[in-house]
Amino acid sequence: MLKVDNLETYIEQFHILQGVTFEVRKGMITVLFGRNGAGKTTTLRTIMGYYPIANGTVRYNDEVLNNLPTHLIARKGIGYVPEDQGIFPSLTVGETLVLAQREKNKETEEKLTWMLELFPDLKKFWQKRSGLLSGGQKQMLAIARAFINSDGLLLIDEPSKGLSPLMVEKLMEAILQMKEKTTILLVEQNYFMASEIGDYFYIMDDGKIVHGGLMDELKEDAELSMKYLGVS
Amino acid sequence: MNAILNLLINGLSTGLLIFLLASGLTLIFGLMSVLNFAHGGFFVWGAFVWVWLFSATGNFFISVVGAIGIGMLIGFIFEKTLIRPVYGNHIRQLLVTLGGMLVLVELIRMIWGSNPIRAGLPVWLDGSIQLGGVVLIKYRLFVILVGLIIYGLIMLLLKKTKIGMIIRAGVDNREMVQALGINIKAVFSMVFILGAGIAALGGTLLAPYSGIIFADMGLQYAILAFIVVIIGGLGSVRGAALASIIVGLAGAFTAFYYPDLSLAVNMLLLIFVLLLRPKGLFGEKG
Amino acid sequence: MLAAKLNRIYGYSGVIILLLLLIFPFTNDSRSMLILLTQVFIFGIFAMSYDLLLGYTGIVSFGHCLFFGIGAYSTGLVLNTFATSISMFFLGICLGFLLATVVSYIIGMLSLRLQSHFYAMLTLGFSELFLVIAEKWRSVTHGGDGFTFRAPAFLQDRLFVYFFALASMVMIFILLRLFTNSSIGKVLRAISQNEARVQALGFTVLHYKVIASIVAGIIASYSGALYAITLRFVDPSVFSIEMTLDALLMTMIGGVGTLIGPILGSGVVEFLQHYLSQLGSQFPIFERWTLFLGLLYIVVILGFPKGIVGMFQELSKRDVKESKNYRKSA
Ligand SMILES: Nc1ncnc2c1ncn2[C@@H]1O[C@H](COP(=O)(O)OP(=O)(O)OP(=O)(O)O)[C@@H](O)[C@H]1O
Ligand SMILES: [Mg+2]
Repeated sequence: MLKVDNLETYIEQFHILQGVTFEVRKGMITVLFGRNGAGKTTTLRTIMGYYPIANGTVRYNDEVLNNLPTHLIARKGIGYVPEDQGIFPSLTVGETLVLAQREKNKETEEKLTWMLELFPDLKKFWQKRSGLLSGGQKQMLAIARAFINSDGLLLIDEPSKGLSPLMVEKLMEAILQMKEKTTILLVEQNYFMASEIGDYFYIMDDGKIVHGGLMDELKEDAELSMKYLGVS
Repeated sequence: MNAILNLLINGLSTGLLIFLLASGLTLIFGLMSVLNFAHGGFFVWGAFVWVWLFSATGNFFISVVGAIGIGMLIGFIFEKTLIRPVYGNHIRQLLVTLGGMLVLVELIRMIWGSNPIRAGLPVWLDGSIQLGGVVLIKYRLFVILVGLIIYGLIMLLLKKTKIGMIIRAGVDNREMVQALGINIKAVFSMVFILGAGIAALGGTLLAPYSGIIFADMGLQYAILAFIVVIIGGLGSVRGAALASIIVGLAGAFTAFYYPDLSLAVNMLLLIFVLLLRPKGLFGEKG
Repeated sequence: MLAAKLNRIYGYSGVIILLLLLIFPFTNDSRSMLILLTQVFIFGIFAMSYDLLLGYTGIVSFGHCLFFGIGAYSTGLVLNTFATSISMFFLGICLGFLLATVVSYIIGMLSLRLQSHFYAMLTLGFSELFLVIAEKWRSVTHGGDGFTFRAPAFLQDRLFVYFFALASMVMIFILLRLFTNSSIGKVLRAISQNEARVQALGFTVLHYKVIASIVAGIIASYSGALYAITLRFVDPSVFSIEMTLDALLMTMIGGVGTLIGPILGSGVVEFLQHYLSQLGSQFPIFERWTLFLGLLYIVVILGFPKGIVGMFQELSKRDVKESKNYRKSA
């Protein structure tokens, strides 16, 4: 569904992505691992069109996305949950979610209703200014916003960052449920959580993909997971 | 009592005039982090076009609408030619819009000459009314009324409409608005043009208010607008409104009680704010 | 190779122009040309001081005339109030330096830790304030009409003033060259490129910026003093925005961040103003030469942000690339 081929990105003069190749399969959760500074966030941001592509291609449903402005990439159906959640502090939860429905129709209404079922907190705090939410609630809001806005693919950047284990578990549970309705590319550091819900994995290091395959293979390959992810 | 009331009304009406000027400026900064030094240029253009149309047609409303239209047209051209090429670079924005300001003012001199021009007033707005022994100047009340209406409309737009939500979201986080499939540059162009129109409206209201207009007014008001926007907090409409009224009132009272100080009072307010709260009264961006 | 050669050519042409300027007064007795060139030198100094801010430190000032005016008024007032002597001339200049230092220090400390527009607005506000003071404080400044004063005898000779201004310009060029290549200057350049990084390296960016602002203020006040001397007259127009715009225009047109650019820019702008206003007497449209300068300025910022000098530098860089390619293919 999403094919990234030999992607290269520069930030200012720095060569950050040096040929990233991977694929996200429809209906699956694909997890992108990698230590800090490996280039995971940069990969997602490049896909979203925030950085110009120096080389390589991004294909979504066989359509090349290179050089499209961000808002048109989003309109292809790709939702984005940034690492810092990117919430709108001065909008209420309700306003944010209504804004996420680019058009109000049966489909987006259903998505909204479902998100409120999945994250009851958002319903409870519908009137609250997003800036006042807790970290976990902000993360839920960011995910709900991206899901409602998207149509087919979600890019989620480290949702577990800074959250309590309980909260992480809750989120992972929700993401697993969302898999029924959308394809997901998940960036995660939390190996134990991600390996539970992921179908495929890739490992990034120094701006390149160094490994990839079925999640089950990774779980069995103690050497590999030790080497790159520091787990045994 | 009479004096104080009149000073209050003076200050309030001047303040609301300034607000019309500052509201567009603060929004375009908040939304795209664009510093437009030429905003005062739209304001003087509004004033001149109004005086010109009013002396030609004698119709107050046609003149106001015409002036706003021209203001928006200039804003449109400005945004396309000068602002677009310098997105993301404050220094070049300041430099290029300063040049734009210069050109706007020179064009006024070329068309209407360098000498000050007298501005008329429609008969129905002339004179004053008596309210329980207090004499109130009609036009000032009118300015206050219009200023409050515009403030209300802007707030309504921001709070109650979808486009207002997009603007507020854009002020908070521009990148994320794009990720929701919204073309923020198009929204920004709209806001810019709208801001130019409101500034031009401010200019049309100013012309009969001060009775005399001249090309160099543009620069004075450009400075004033920036001062107000900085005091209010860049990007905050409420802050700009409050700061405008503070500046207006401070100006009116010092002009009356300490006339020598009145020219410095805006600078003093600005310095005060820079020392105590560089982000401004309502600012979130420093 | 080619670049080195080109640089040498630029160097030689600089020396030749300097020589031409030195012998010019003896080959040509056009008084107006002499005065015009003197103006070019003075505004060259003023524009260089602006370049130190804009080009080397990345600070935008909208009120640089503030310091120009301080220099002009200090010198004029001291010479007018006290005796007309060399020592008073120097006293006036020193008073200008002192005031410029104090004012630029205050403005800098207030605004340079904030975003760029704060300094721009604060300098602009202060310059408007000084303009008002110059107009209203009649007992000292003689109000809006300004005042004439007598200059020391040696400074009344146009020829001497010409050489004095030229020598000052060359001296200040050399001094600023040294300053910008010093360790402070290198930090300033780094600030203009990436302020956050310099801060992260442990430098107190604010101090460096304030230093740049003070040095620029002092040099601008010196150019203001020279300006007053050539006219033997001062009025509030030295505090007008047009002065700031001139400096900005000259720096941008000549080439920002090059020091030599502002001098070139000063020449271009002064001569252009001179000829356009002459044309104005024949074709009324040229009376609005400010409009043309404004448009030119916009075109330069949008199209040639590096100015004349920048264009030449691009040229020599391209030559280097071409010569490399040439070698590769050979
Ligand atoms: N704006 C920037 N300017 C310069 N370098 C940057 C910038 N953004 C990211 N980088 C560099 O790019 C590299 C990759 O960063 P990226 O944020 O993609 O890593 P990441 O894999 O998401 O790390 P983390 O797990 O810590 O979030 C890092 O070395 C980082 O320093
Ligand atoms: Mg990251």
